[in-house]
Amino acid sequence: MLNYDVVVVGCGPAGSAAALRAAKAGKKVLAIERGPEPGSKNVSGAMIRKDYVSSVFGDGLPFEREVQRIKLSLYNGDSPVDIEFSPENLVTTGRLKFDKWLSSVAENAGAMVISKTTGLELKWENGTAKSLVTDRGEVTADAFVLAEGVNSLLSMKSGIKKDFTPDTAVQAVKEVYAVKKEDINSMFNLPDESKGLAWRFVMTDPLIAGFLYTYKDSVAVGIGSPIKELVSRKMRPEKVLDDFLDKTGLAKKFEGYSLREYSAKVIPEGGFPSMNPGKGNVYLCGDALGLVDPLTFDGISPAIASGTLAGDAAASGLSQDIYYYNLVKDPEISKIVKERPLEGRMLGTDAASGYINMLSSALNSWASGDLLGIGKIISSNFRNVMPDLIEFMTKMR
Amino acid sequence: MRTEEKLYTLRYKKDEKPHLSIRDSGLCLECEKENGNPQPCILICPAGVYTWEDKKIVVGYENCVECGACRIACPYDNINWEYPRFGRGIALRYA
Repeated sequence: MLNYDVVVVGCGPAGSAAALRAAKAGKKVLAIERGPEPGSKNVSGAMIRKDYVSSVFGDGLPFEREVQRIKLSLYNGDSPVDIEFSPENLVTTGRLKFDKWLSSVAENAGAMVISKTTGLELKWENGTAKSLVTDRGEVTADAFVLAEGVNSLLSMKSGIKKDFTPDTAVQAVKEVYAVKKEDINSMFNLPDESKGLAWRFVMTDPLIAGFLYTYKDSVAVGIGSPIKELVSRKMRPEKVLDDFLDKTGLAKKFEGYSLREYSAKVIPEGGFPSMNPGKGNVYLCGDALGLVDPLTFDGISPAIASGTLAGDAAASGLSQDIYYYNLVKDPEISKIVKERPLEGRMLGTDAASGYINMLSSALNSWASGDLLGIGKIISSNFRNVMPDLIEFMTKMR
Repeated sequence: MRTEEKLYTLRYKKDEKPHLSIRDSGLCLECEKENGNPQPCILICPAGVYTWEDKKIVVGYENCVECGACRIACPYDNINWEYPRFGRGIALRYA
């Protein structure tokens, strides 16, 4: 039987960060990936913070466009209220190229990466995991990192976590359209192919978060909606996406362009720290811990942050208490922990329409010169709504 | 565009062994009584994997986009959800 110091399951951002750290610590590391290559099973909006990724993985990050503008459209009925920001340091990236690069950095640091290999079962003895059974054989190790994504089958089978539930999971569907570079620039008012747009939409009734990201010669667009909401209202996610594209006028924009790829992903909306981050010598990270920023949908930064800590923990055999403590004090992760209650208030199924109605009527009063109207709207809502709203807007940046 | 047409954009290699299955088809009957048609798994799947035929859920696992929503949505925890083996299933290029 093969033997390693550390075995990492999953070669997404969390797994590659863990493999990189453990390899850098001088450990003999095996990282397995169930897809034909790293990134081939991964779906995201794929907007990342370049400086943060580079601080862990170094230079050479492959990206599509620098995000020049973030646009936020809040829909109350048919007409949106739009807000725009100019962010710094954000880029869009395609997951196949991005995840392959992350994995190659771990490989160059000495980790062994094997794809087309699925982890099937961890074998335990007295609370310690001894070996991992895969579809290609069994491997023993001193420590294991489970960076297996939102469908964390090994973590669940090992009794470390329970599955996500319809109210702690968002179903997202995504389409990527092939659009010529120049056409993207004129479509979204971008100066050239190095600059991009990230566009977020919030609609209520039904509650939908929409997104659009410009890649170099394609545009990714999609929606996410809580599984509970979709099921209780009998709405099919692909129909919700079609309706969203119609309502926003995007369907018309993409007319005549071909669909390059269709995909779907469950986005976790809960998890750590209300679950254990591991057990014995097994450490979970990334989506397996439910670490996705609820406001920006960024799962990649917290995946890298938790993967780094999991790699350290696995390399030095840290106790679960210390691993837990390291996670909660990490700024990328504590941010999510702090934002979850805010998100609950802002985007909770019932609350969202209140916020958006308030904002759009305030802006309408402003546009029509009814300053008294704004005063009324704001003062009657100030106590419960305004602080959340302002916090929400600043966090969206 | 129909869902089947959207699925044509995906690179796919079939694992002969189904990675999705129903644990107890009796529970599906109960679910239909409780939730009507379409049931949560049929509704939430963006790839049309599940259909209701002759009072049974039929699983077209070769359409699966591996999102996992059906397993989470099933009110009876009645879907045995595994990964396709040996790197098979979908292989995304542009996501």
